[in-house]
Amino acid sequence: MSSQSVLVIGGGIAGIQASIDLANMGLQVYLVERTPSIGGRMAQLDKTFPTNDCSMCILAPKMIECAGHDNVHLLTYSEVDEVRGEAGDFQVTVRGKPRYVDLAKCTGCGECAEKCPRRVPDEFNMGLDKRKAIYMPFPQAVPRKMTVDAGNCLYFAKGRCRVCEETCQAGAIDFEQQEEVLELEVGAIVIATGFDPYDPAALKEYGYGEIENAITGLEYERLICASGPTEGHLGRPSDGRVPQMIAFIQCVGSRDVNYKAYCSSVCCMHATKEAILANEHYPDLKSFIFYTDMRAVGKQFQEYIIRAKEQYHASYIRSRPGKITVDEQSGNPIVWYDETVFSEAGDSVRRVASKEVELVILCQALVPRGVHREIAEKLGLEMDESGFLAVRDRLECPVDTSVPGIFACGFCQSPQDIPDSVVQASAAAARVAELLRPNSRRPGDA
Amino acid sequence: MPRTRVGVFVCHCGNNIGGVVRVPEVVEDARNLPNVVYVEDSLYACSEEGLSSIKEQIAKQNLSRVVVASCTPRTHEPLFKDACEEAGLNRYLFEFVNIREHCSWVHRHDPARATEKAKELVRMGVAKARYLEPQEEFESEVFPAALVVGGGVAGMTAALSLANQGIQVYVVEREEQLGGLVREVRTLFPTEQDTGELLGPLIEQVRSHPQITVYLGSEVENIEGFIGDFDVAVATDGQVRELKMGTVIVATGAQELKPLGMYGYSGLPNVVTQLEFEKSFKRGADLPPNVVMINCVGARVPERTYCGRLCCSTAIKNAIWLKEQDPDAKVSVLHRDVMACGVDIEEFYRGAMELGIRFLRYDVQNPPEVLGDRRAEGVKVHHQLMGKQIILPADLVVLTTPLVPREDSERLSKMMKVPVGTEGFFLEAHLKLRPIEFSTDGIYVCGSARYPSSIPESVSQAYAAAAKAAIPIRDGSVRVEAITVFCDERTCSACGNCVEVCPFGAVELQEGRFGRIASVNVMQCRGCGCCVAACRSGAMQQRGFDDRQLLSMIGALADEVVSVGGR
Amino acid sequence: MEDSETGGNGFEPKILIFACNWCSYAGADLAGVSRLQMPANCRVIRVMCSARVRPEFVITALSKGLDGVVVLGCHPGDCHYSEGNYFTRRRGLFLKKLVEYVGIEPERFQVRWVSASEGAKFSDTVAEVTRQVKALGPNRPRPKA
Repeated sequence: MSSQSVLVIGGGIAGIQASIDLANMGLQVYLVERTPSIGGRMAQLDKTFPTNDCSMCILAPKMIECAGHDNVHLLTYSEVDEVRGEAGDFQVTVRGKPRYVDLAKCTGCGECAEKCPRRVPDEFNMGLDKRKAIYMPFPQAVPRKMTVDAGNCLYFAKGRCRVCEETCQAGAIDFEQQEEVLELEVGAIVIATGFDPYDPAALKEYGYGEIENAITGLEYERLICASGPTEGHLGRPSDGRVPQMIAFIQCVGSRDVNYKAYCSSVCCMHATKEAILANEHYPDLKSFIFYTDMRAVGKQFQEYIIRAKEQYHASYIRSRPGKITVDEQSGNPIVWYDETVFSEAGDSVRRVASKEVELVILCQALVPRGVHREIAEKLGLEMDESGFLAVRDRLECPVDTSVPGIFACGFCQSPQDIPDSVVQASAAAARVAELLRPNSRRPGDA
Repeated sequence: MPRTRVGVFVCHCGNNIGGVVRVPEVVEDARNLPNVVYVEDSLYACSEEGLSSIKEQIAKQNLSRVVVASCTPRTHEPLFKDACEEAGLNRYLFEFVNIREHCSWVHRHDPARATEKAKELVRMGVAKARYLEPQEEFESEVFPAALVVGGGVAGMTAALSLANQGIQVYVVEREEQLGGLVREVRTLFPTEQDTGELLGPLIEQVRSHPQITVYLGSEVENIEGFIGDFDVAVATDGQVRELKMGTVIVATGAQELKPLGMYGYSGLPNVVTQLEFEKSFKRGADLPPNVVMINCVGARVPERTYCGRLCCSTAIKNAIWLKEQDPDAKVSVLHRDVMACGVDIEEFYRGAMELGIRFLRYDVQNPPEVLGDRRAEGVKVHHQLMGKQIILPADLVVLTTPLVPREDSERLSKMMKVPVGTEGFFLEAHLKLRPIEFSTDGIYVCGSARYPSSIPESVSQAYAAAAKAAIPIRDGSVRVEAITVFCDERTCSACGNCVEVCPFGAVELQEGRFGRIASVNVMQCRGCGCCVAACRSGAMQQRGFDDRQLLSMIGALADEVVSVGGR
Repeated sequence: MEDSETGGNGFEPKILIFACNWCSYAGADLAGVSRLQMPANCRVIRVMCSARVRPEFVITALSKGLDGVVVLGCHPGDCHYSEGNYFTRRRGLFLKKLVEYVGIEPERFQVRWVSASEGAKFSDTVAEVTRQVKALGPNRPRPKA
């Protein structure tokens, strides 16, 4: 019955939580995820603030619970094509892209990837290393199956190779696989499409793309992560040396009327976490965080900042740097900024200062994922000027979108961290339950 | 009693296992183990074929225990357990042996020793399996009603959501009317609506909903029990009502800190808090021409390290309100950081600056000083950019203080056996992934009782709590995986160690047949086994991980150790 | 990771590892998934929490002639059951002394913390403990149980 089914778009932590709650309520959940695995951005994090929990360790059980739930139908490597209908009765067309791997046979052993000759930039590691054309996005992927990236596969490009097929003992490779089109009937839709990092190349003054040792927050996260491309070795791009002094530039593209006027909410804490992690790996490493307002507003957040200052050599400099240059010889970036805190009266001319460091991390703005614009259009949802899904009434129903029966949770509707996203996901589940009045999950009950 | 008949199924996993471990040798070795009556190997035990074969052999060989040696139980254990159940064998009579992740994959260059290791691991698995016992998962009925403690915005939202899901809800509110802290607030941010616009309809909906019963002027005196079966005593209307509840939501809110002794508060008549400001100054009233607000009063200081999260927004809201009432008013906000996160509030903040409200940053080492003897006349502050002290004239000083836990939160915390954190607010099960649940099943928390939360945040949390609280009620029962602990009353000495070490409060000392013994509430037991290891008499055992089973694994491994000389 | 070496006398220690379901067992799995090669001397027994491991298991294992016993748990503060690994830590300190008291080298018993994402740490731990126990030689021989 359509009114006992729900479509969840997006398999990050918000989508996963919403799916689990909805499934526990007895509803049939179709979780559509564009990439081959659920997990989203949280899977890319090393640790999470302020507990410094290992991100994958707390995420993986949720991923397994979600995928293993009887009421959850995982549709990974799929996208929503079309939506018609109204609250209580939506008809949805979902397009399942061909992986060229038979999910029933694939055991995720990875032998095919070992033999695949084609290497392409690994998007999970923010392009910092390479993966194969047949791949599993990360070791803890759910489902634990391989996927052929047809756009980069030698067989599809040039008609040769097929080494994976030869290697696979289970006979799981199927180059004849077609895309699968599913017609679903659901009573409600929950959107949880998350965020993308904003490309800091737009801010020419910071030299991203030109200064080798200026990297983004997410790139840094993958470098420092023990299961990342360098196994947690923080070697800087130009020479692989471990930096002893690093600078974090906050609000790159955020709180800036020229780019994104809003505050991305999580970057202050993110930078603090990175500074702590850096010092944990390298006890002599010092961090300088250039900020405008240090927005540490959550539970245990202020205490985290205090620890960073007192125990992890993190210094906070209140300034938004105007420019980053580079010392050609050493490759060291130099951060130029105005001092804004004076203990005595200085001259009327502002003092400009500079700090030479060895690595700069640009904490870029976070924007709602690009693809979600398409989804918003397909569903007729309103968005605000910044591209976030507009919410009907932020005070009274903060997870209802402008269209009845469609709810939005997590970063796709406003900048927020993991606990807030998880709360909104459960909130969306409650709103769906109010709409659909699900029956008990036990079969045969009224 | 029929002899235990163990079947062993060794998987090749393609050549993931078979390419390193010599599976036929493992199979032969297993045949000689005590109680093993059947051994087979398969290419993929988890495939349709593999599973069918297991089911077939359970029937054919009359197996009473099944051991599968393949990959990690963390992925396929439920699959194999289901297969056993389908074949009529209790799912807890199954044991998984990991010879892939823990063996073939990590000893690729040493197939001989990998094979020896695989054999030993299988021996250990079989040794344990012989002592496995059938288990039934405990099920406990859930009473179909939810309790919401607190009738503020969070409590009302949670109650309404539950009621709209078809669930019976009881709201207990201490005051004589619903509304909570928001009743004291004049306007809301960032919409600038009057609070009445939000509260009025919400209260009306709650009072008129047929599924909601409200007890005003009432308090919860006692809560006993566990998820599905809470006994609640409510003091209402001069008597004490005993109610039964399935789940409980804590929405008791918080209160504004009154900063006694700080910045002249309670000494000088024109130094007030934000809430007091909202109460005293209504539209059209005589508004002071010079207003200085000081943020972070009593927050982000050694005595109270946390950030009040919504106080900056409150200050901005009231500063904007002032400027809109009187565009000529001079309004300054002295802050340490402006916490205007997100889209709406950052825009609100920008709007405030555009209205001409001055935001001046001060350092906690060098805080502002309120000047004046009988009344506040000005505020001296170190202007960071100018590098000198300035004095701002002030007809009114408004102190922005954080929300603090209610005085009775400790009483509630002890009553419900739920913890409070270092700041004094209720402590959730997990800061990241379980923000509105408690470690104790069946009790949830939302709103400022957990941590200062703005209205959108409190409302989201309330909906989330309603979702969680509804699930067990809708299910009608809760089931517990049978890896819980039990106490053998014959050997229990009632020493109480287990009661103390249990992180979940699941063990209690009670009267038994032979005197006082430890009694485990299976519904609260999480199966960690802390109490088992702490038990002096061996009375406590864990289903599926009892001493005999684990010791037999150790024995099976040690059996191979030769007494003297090389190996 | 190095493979097991056979020393002059061909002694290969046999080491028992208790791994908790939520962290260290998962870390061991990750080591496997990442194909981190390690010496084949260790055998894992899964428990739900490291706190389940009672002193009796350690003493029995060592007295039956196993060369080493390691208890692995979640990092302090990260225990899935909130406090279990604190008990393990305390018990570990006491057990070290007890093992020594009964005449067994205390290095044969160790408590370590491995999280679910620390595949490398698991394999490093296995290699290190194997090396240490190997250097101690076989555990004082006992008659076959």
